[in-house]
Formats: sequence, structure tokens, C-alpha cells
Amino acid sequence: MITTKIPPSTHPHADVIHRLEAGGSMLPDTPENLMQIIGIYKAYAVPMDFYWRDLLYIAEQVFLEPFRFFKYFISDEYLERQNHYAGDQADLRIWRGTGSAHPELLEFMKKGETFKSSKLFHHLFHDRINMEFAEACMRAMLWHGRDMGLGKFDAYLDSDEYKANADRAIKAYFKKNPVMLGLYKLFPDMFLEQVRELSYYANLGLFWEVMAPVFFEMSDIYDEGGFKGVPDAMNFLVNGIFAIAGRPIYHHVYIDGECFEIIPKSKGFTWLYEAALPYVEAVFYRTAPFRGTKSYNAQAHEVPDAQKDFHYGILYADVFPVGTAGIPPTLLMDDMYHFLPQYLKDYYKEHCRGEDDELIQLGITFQRSMYNVTSAVIQALRTALLYPLDDPNPKHLQKNREFFEAQMDRFLRPEARLRDIQNAEYR
Amino acid sequence: MPSIVDIAVNNEGFSTLVAAVQAAGLVETLAGEGDFTVFAPNDDAFAKLPPGTIQTLVQNPPQLARILTYHVAAGRLTKDDLIKLGEVTSIEGSPIPINGEDDFEVKNATVLAADIEADNGIIHVIDNVILMG
Repeated sequence: MITTKIPPSTHPHADVIHRLEAGGSMLPDTPENLMQIIGIYKAYAVPMDFYWRDLLYIAEQVFLEPFRFFKYFISDEYLERQNHYAGDQADLRIWRGTGSAHPELLEFMKKGETFKSSKLFHHLFHDRINMEFAEACMRAMLWHGRDMGLGKFDAYLDSDEYKANADRAIKAYFKKNPVMLGLYKLFPDMFLEQVRELSYYANLGLFWEVMAPVFFEMSDIYDEGGFKGVPDAMNFLVNGIFAIAGRPIYHHVYIDGECFEIIPKSKGFTWLYEAALPYVEAVFYRTAPFRGTKSYNAQAHEVPDAQKDFHYGILYADVFPVGTAGIPPTLLMDDMYHFLPQYLKDYYKEHCRGEDDELIQLGITFQRSMYNVTSAVIQALRTALLYPLDDPNPKHLQKNREFFEAQMDRFLRPEARLRDIQNAEYR
Repeated sequence: MPSIVDIAVNNEGFSTLVAAVQAAGLVETLAGEGDFTVFAPNDDAFAKLPPGTIQTLVQNPPQLARILTYHVAAGRLTKDDLIKLGEVTSIEGSPIPINGEDDFEVKNATVLAADIEADNGIIHVIDNVILMG
């Protein structure tokens, strides 16, 4: 145990810091926690397999379509598109999985909750995967991107090179539409900002293309009896982060079969720096208050002055009032609800109000699971930027300690749910 | 005097680095006019990276080149110069912190052999692949 080499931490979250220093997760290592997080990863992976495909479909094919009603009507090509890192036809197979869309997703897309019907009926009846959630995550990344200053992606969106690339694509897209070309001439920045948003669609799509097979495989390993505890599940994620860190992040658009490289792969943007780290910061920590849940008085400083102090992500969420129809986290919970493994359904029936508050129970499970994902990111950063947990040099251990303490400082604010998830009764 | 690339190729323990530099298309740059300061991770340093990390990077040369250029700074900076500076900016653009308090450390790597002179720069051998952030 390394804690013997340096004195114990006096941080309010010292117990969690010592657990991280021993190679653990922020989430306590109990069989119940392991069962919950793996079950929810599985339920998350299925809609995520739709999210990433449709995000790329919108970024690459729908592009600046003025009438975007059909943007969630993903093409067969994108459902059959082979995952770059999973399945038999992967360019570089890191995870098992299927290359094309997951069978459970395809089955749900046909039938929904109700019955087999046309895409249009399912769409209008809102009996479908809630892509609005994926778009809310994308917008959080877009809105916080400039302020976060993480990676080189957002800064590139302001470069002359990017503007020239976007200009070429805009002109090609509207070459047969003089009205839109005229509008572009009048309001070039409006069109450019739309393309920037579409670049974030691509960014998030490429990020989730990796996460979906990771979560599927974790579920498979658990079903095979492969994970002994929460740290095993966390370490699987840490290894995944490293394995895929160098995956290119780019934005290509296809117009009449021709590929326009708005953000070329040759920019050297990577999955870790330009997608994963900004995603975690923007979505897990920051986001923005969800409309329709709670009123904030900005004059009374109920909303932070600085974007970096925003704390409306899943790590701070009060899942109960957030469980209102139509808002992004509830849309996700609804998506996951369709794909819960049986053992998790049985578990929720035994607690609280059983099936009546299942969405809230699974929301809190999701919160636990995202504390575990965040732990994996923290451990991966420690591995990449600092020192091994068993480093013989006490000065190095002290540097690790300072890093962990700085991370835990973010959970000192009262809204943080770190203390809640330490308790099995928090549901 | 041999170039930075010649030294890496002709010494044992740098085969991964040499292969990576070739895959990233940086041979010409590092054999060309300098001067460069190169923090060269040895084979053991690359072996410490979790499985798959290098494989993904080798498949994507621009991304690999970015990680490698984080190990290079402009100019011919000796151990003493670096310690005096406390930080240098890499060719990649991100800063590399230097620590000379006890051991000679470059970010979270320890320098195993310092001040190896080459025709077009200087090499410091390190025991970890360093990453931006």
C-alpha cells in the first residue's frame, strides 16, 4: 500500500483519495455497484450505437439541409456502417462487438414500444431513440468548447484554414440553390457557425463510435463472470482510453459523392485530446441548467458568473426533479429503459417504488456508473501525466496526491453526488 | 558527427522510436537541418504504454507525429540549459516542464542519459513516453 510512504490526506474526501491511490474507483467496490454499473453500460450502449451513427450521418450527409425534419431518419448505409474498432470487418479490431448496428437496436427501431409501423409514425409518436439527448451533449461541447480551451479542436474552428474549408463545402452544397447562396453572401457567419456545430456532431459521433463497443464488451465480460470488482471495470476503461487515444478526430462531408475535408485527419487531432477530455468536462461536469426543471435567479448569483464553474452535469445532478418529460437526461433515461438487462429490472422492482420510479432508480445507477467512468479518466490522466501508484519516490507520490486532491476539490460543492454514491441506500 | 536519426538507428534500445519516427514520416525532418533537442524514449518506455496505444497511433501517422513532436524542442538545449529554463515549448506547441531538483526530470519521465551530441541537435534519453496535458 502506497499510503504508508506519505502521510494520510486531510482532504474532506480523503477516503476516496486513498481509494484512488490504491488503484480503486470513486465508486465503492461492492458486487451491487458492479452489477448496477455494468447493467447500465449495456443499456447505454444500445442507444449510443444509434447516437454515433446518426451524429455522423447528420455531420457528413444531412449537413446544411435547410429542412432538417428527416435528420433522425438515418440511412441504411449508416446503420450498416462498420465500426472502425469493433466487429469482424474493423480496420483495427480492439473490441469484439458487431461492426454494423446492434441487433437489439435494429429490433427496437422496427417495433418501438408500441408496434411495428412506419418510421414516420414512430418519429411523430416519439416512439424511438431520443437523438435530442445526443444533440444536447453536442451543444454542451460546442458552447463550452471555447471556454474550456482543451485540445486544439475548438481553436481550429476559428482558423482561416477552417473557414476556407467550410466555405468550399457550403458553396458546393448550395451550388443549385441560389436563394441559399444569396443568404450565405448576406450572412456568412451564420452559415459558418452552423458548420462549426456540424463539426461537433462529427466529433461526438467519432467519440461515441468507440464507447459503444467498449460498453457492450464490458457487459459481455461481466456475463461471462470476468470482472471481479469495480476496479476491474474501471481498469478496462483505462486500457480502452489508452488503446484508442490516437484515433483521428475529423469532419468530412459528402456532397454528390465528393468528399470535402472540413477538418482533415492530417490535422493530427486525437480522440483523447480533442474529443474525450472536452466531452467529460463539458458533459459530465458543466453542461447548462435544463429548461423546465428549476428556476435560477442570475442576479442573485444562482448561476455562476464563469462557465468553468457550471455544475449541471451528471456528477452533480439531482436525478429526481430532473426526471421531467422532454429534458435531455430524462430522454437518455427513457432510451436506456428500453434495453435494461433482466437482472437490473429485477433489482429495481425490489427497491423504492419498484417499477413506478424505475426511471429515477436507473438515473441514479447511471450517476454511479459515470462516477466510475470519470474515475477511469482520472486514473488514465494520472498514468499519462504523472506517476505509477507504486512509485518508490515519495515526491512522485506527493505529486499524484496533489493531482487526486485537485480532482476531488471539484466535488466539494454541495451539489456534488460523490458522498451520496458512497452509500448503497442512495437510489 | 552523426545526425539524431543516425544515433537512434545505430544504438540499441531505440527500435520502437525509430519505427515510430519512420511511420510518422519524420525521418527527413530529424535527419535534416536543426538544431533540435530530442527527448528520446527508449524501448522500455514505449513498452510501458498500455496495449494497443502504439498500434492505433502507427495506423494514423499525423496523430503519431503529433505525439512524437511533443518530444522535440527547437534549439540545442543541454541539461544545464533546460534546468535553467524550467520549461520549454515543444514543436507540437504544448509546454514541457523540466525539473532538476533531484534527478533530471522531463515532465513525468526521468532522464537516463543526458547531453548526447548529434550533428543537428542534442538527445536526452528518457524512461517514459511523455504526453501533452
